[in-house]
Amino acid sequence: MNCEQFQEILPEVIDGGRNVEQETHLQSCPVCSGLVADLSLISQEARQLQEFAEPAPRVWNAIEIALRREGLIREPILGPALLPPVKHRWSFAWLAPVTAAALVAFGVFVYERGAREPQPVAQVPTATPAAVTNLQTGKSQKSVNNEDQQLLEAVGSRAPTMQAAYASNLQNVNAYIRDAEESAQADPNDEEAQQVVMDAYEQRATVYEMALDRSLP
Amino acid sequence: MTDARKLQGDKLSEAEAIERAKLGDAEAFQLLYSLHKRRVYSLCLRMTANTAEAEDLTQEAFLQLFRKIATFRGESAFSTWLHRMAVNVVLMQLRKKSLPVVPLEETLENEDEAPKRELGAADPVLSGSIDRLRLQRAVDALPPGYRRIFVLHDVEGYEHNEIATMVGCSIGNSKSQLHKARMKLREALKTSRAEKAAKP
Repeated sequence: MNCEQFQEILPEVIDGGRNVEQETHLQSCPVCSGLVADLSLISQEARQLQEFAEPAPRVWNAIEIALRREGLIREPILGPALLPPVKHRWSFAWLAPVTAAALVAFGVFVYERGAREPQPVAQVPTATPAAVTNLQTGKSQKSVNNEDQQLLEAVGSRAPTMQAAYASNLQNVNAYIRDAEESAQADPNDEEAQQVVMDAYEQRATVYEMALDRSLP
Repeated sequence: MTDARKLQGDKLSEAEAIERAKLGDAEAFQLLYSLHKRRVYSLCLRMTANTAEAEDLTQEAFLQLFRKIATFRGESAFSTWLHRMAVNVVLMQLRKKSLPVVPLEETLENEDEAPKRELGAADPVLSGSIDRLRLQRAVDALPPGYRRIFVLHDVEGYEHNEIATMVGCSIGNSKSQLHKARMKLREALKTSRAEKAAKP
């Protein structure tokens, strides 16, 4: 079997089911084995995209409005309430717009600074992802963790059932920010990467907004 | 995300949230949405490569789910049910836009579009890992027919026989489209890596 013959049947055999002749060619041919390795890696890494993006809060708002309009959300709620009394929930309401605005402003600041003063990768050759984040944003990981912890405590005091969901959301969005900043720093002239950093910070602001906005009527 | 997944706090599980949603509990609806929104939205976004369309489709998928939640009996995993519904919503939308569904069998390929055979020297280009953003961009740039099969198989994990039923093509065609999609992604990632290396 030669390369042309092997690659002819590759769509059928790449995900398993190779016979002895095909396997022998694969083991003896660096071109075909390199090709199969690359295609398998792409397939494997594709799972990264499974939960990659976060929808904007307007999506849930629209769903909730439709559910109420169609009568699928009904009052009174049966069983123990998932949220504490309104009086308690109101105590954190003022934080929603303030925190969201601060996070968006911070994202804008990072974006604009990245666009004006691109930093070559060579300046931070040994930085870890967390350190890269800190270098670019100027915001310590500890500070971010404290903010998240405060938010989760606020959510936990009002809606314990939602705390785990928000913890997961924050973890995901922080990972997204790290990824985005690493890409932007690797190529400071990549405007799309800078935009992704902005989007990532907006998503973080969205999580904060949603978490704290839950107490609004 | 399974029924066994327990939430911290008062231990409300997905199964309990489903039962409460059947009774019209707003918090339960929002909890179910929170658990699954990323997966559903990511699917819609990858399939359409358009944020506004992906938001509309995510909304539609969840609304269809919540309208039918009273009929959910738990025979299959809730997440499987939801994601299948989301796929159907997206495929229906793509059909409405007149993107080729049956014509997958007849996808026109010119010399520029068809992935090239590699019969030359060994050229392993993707060893290690692939940057997620670059992979995302490469997937978004795929022709819609290739992208659809790639997302369903490699991202969402559907088998070729399931894809063939959902999309309306043969199993062999699904395999062929997937292979071409992966080959095009390899080319795109190779180019992207070369451009990155060439920059000072």
